[in-house]
Amino acid sequence: MLTTTLNTAVGSLLANAGALQTTNNNIANANTPGYTREVVDLQSIGTTGGNVGGVSVSGFQSVRDELLQMQINQQIQQQGSANAQTSSLQSVQTTFTTSSGDIGTQMSALFSAITNLETDPSNSSLRQAVMTAGQNLATAFNNTSNALTSQQQSLNTQVTQDVGQINQLTKQIAALNPQISTMNANGQDAGPLQDQQDQLVQQLSALTGVQETKTNNGITLTTGNGTPLVVSGQSYALNTAPGSDGLVHVVDVTGTDITGNITGGDLGGTLKTRNQQIPSLLNQLDTLANQFAGAFNSVQASGFTQSGTAGSNFFTVSSSVTGSAASIKLALTSPADVAASSDGASGSGGNLVNFAAVQSTKLASGQTPTDSYANLVFQVGSMLSTANTESSATTSSLLQLNNQLSSVSGVSIDEESANLIKYQQAYEAAARVISTVNSLMSVTMSMGTQAAA
Amino acid sequence: MRVTSMVPNVQYNIQQSEQSVNTALQQLSTGKRVLQISDDPSASANMVRSLASSANVDRYTSNTTNVLARLQTADSALSTVVTSLNQAITLGTEGANGTVNSSNRQQIATQVQGVLTTVIAQANTSYQGSYLFGGTASDTAPFVADSTSATGYTYVGNSGVNTVQVGDSMSVPTNTPGSQIFTSGANVIASLSQLVTALQSGSTSDIATATTAVTSALNYVGQQRVPIENTITQLNSQETYLGTETVSLTSQQTSLVGIDTATAATNVTQAETEQNAVYAAAAKILPQSLLNYLQ
Repeated sequence: MLTTTLNTAVGSLLANAGALQTTNNNIANANTPGYTREVVDLQSIGTTGGNVGGVSVSGFQSVRDELLQMQINQQIQQQGSANAQTSSLQSVQTTFTTSSGDIGTQMSALFSAITNLETDPSNSSLRQAVMTAGQNLATAFNNTSNALTSQQQSLNTQVTQDVGQINQLTKQIAALNPQISTMNANGQDAGPLQDQQDQLVQQLSALTGVQETKTNNGITLTTGNGTPLVVSGQSYALNTAPGSDGLVHVVDVTGTDITGNITGGDLGGTLKTRNQQIPSLLNQLDTLANQFAGAFNSVQASGFTQSGTAGSNFFTVSSSVTGSAASIKLALTSPADVAASSDGASGSGGNLVNFAAVQSTKLASGQTPTDSYANLVFQVGSMLSTANTESSATTSSLLQLNNQLSSVSGVSIDEESANLIKYQQAYEAAARVISTVNSLMSVTMSMGTQAAA
Repeated sequence: MRVTSMVPNVQYNIQQSEQSVNTALQQLSTGKRVLQISDDPSASANMVRSLASSANVDRYTSNTTNVLARLQTADSALSTVVTSLNQAITLGTEGANGTVNSSNRQQIATQVQGVLTTVIAQANTSYQGSYLFGGTASDTAPFVADSTSATGYTYVGNSGVNTVQVGDSMSVPTNTPGSQIFTSGANVIASLSQLVTALQSGSTSDIATATTAVTSALNYVGQQRVPIENTITQLNSQETYLGTETVSLTSQQTSLVGIDTATAATNVTQAETEQNAVYAAAAKILPQSLLNYLQ
């Protein structure tokens, strides 16, 4: 009977030592990113079937909440997308400042120069001022268009980098799948490996939107439109290829262009800015440049130059809207070519009123030039402000979700400290049982000796 | 809810409060509420419109100043013409007097010829190199000597009138063609030339007729000056109006993107108070641990 008690006590010692080790491991990893706390599974042996009670460690278990983990990944995808938009639109925004050198200011300067010429239409220095202002406006259009295009081009690099990182991550995630399923199948604790995989999926989520499915062979990851990225132990790399539009496109392993289907994450946000936001701004800018130049050219054609000939084009601009802002330039070569005159006389300024009227006349777009530009400024600001709002909203909801997750899976130092004391005391008590059994046994043994003596 | 660590919350709160302090400080130091377009897209778009209006008001103002100077030059030239015509009338009345002898009449004729020259000089007045009475043909002198003409002068200008915008819906003429003032209606130049001829011929009745013609020319010039002087008055009041418009646009721009110092300063104080509270809370919460109590 004493031997059985001794065995029970030894079992208790081992179980509590195991629990202490788990506590120790939790404390050690309290600050490890992605670490999921483990609890020890203690099981009573019971007193049935000849057993006399005792305890054993039946296993260790990680306390995880996969639903929360998925919600967090989704938020990270949104945040990645919003942050990518924020940083790329930030540099676009600077070209649309309302301070100086922008299209709005240069447009006003051109109209000012024209109205100044009204006071003395034959004055060649005032005519020169009109030409200079026209040149400056054309340059402002060129610069803004170039800034947008070069931002678009620089996002190509971002796309290539993102795709490279995505491929690396999917490879690592796929490599973990068979290891985890083997351990699970053998009833071993795959906790640390799963933590590692969760972390990698989180990193992947920051780069692109993925959909996650659990299978017996580990997780399956696909892009939003179902292109496989990871299936059991196999990862499928994405590729980049130059498209006909001069931009870098993303193609899947079969060579299908999936650029338009990628949403979420840094890649999704970058593609949104590059393929939707910047082109929409460029298109409006081109429309404004094209219609403004058209309006000026037609006023110019209705008037006469200082030498009395009919006015030739004021601006040179492509006939198609696309590329107008990039290509617009001043067509006039001499100050005398400004068609200020309405009657052919050198001192007439009758046509200048028509030039000035362009400012308050609606273009074909239905808006005056100033309103068109104001609208463009609004859109740039609004795109960035929406991205900013989304970024801070996801930051705050991520904080909440992470709090919820750590409430399930996080390590609490206070709790572990209390557990430490609990297991320590149980260990001490079990040790006391052993020493008690020991003294009882020696009593029993010496009892026999005394009888013999 | 099982709380495992306060650190993420504390970090988030510190981050947020630092951001508010930073924003408040920037607003205070720049005096601007909208530092970049995305801070308030619609205010920024309105700012573009307001700046365009400001630029318009600026150019209307500079045009007003410019046209005022031009019209005042024209008006003073016409005032000289009026003086000259009065002088010619006096001379004509003197010449029509039967007691004046022939050689005196010749002298008077020479004087009237001088008056005519003065009037022509005024009609050829230029302002900053452009001739005020040449219509839109303002780069050459409008009245040139011409021996084939009865008056000795020909008008080479045209009848064009330039207008200048001095308000969104206000334009004023910057010139009156010389043909309208000097060679039509009660023709100024022809009447003076007629007086010279009459004085040279010595016929007192012709002289009297010519003098009457000069008198009606004087009245005619007076009438021609009225619209010019009206425009000058209009421009003066427009100048005042544009001045107030500038002030109101400036204040509109300030309210669109600016922030007043009092509000900005209050915001800074508030943000700092909040930050202090966050720091104080962090200092209290973070060191808390069961370990502090276990001996």
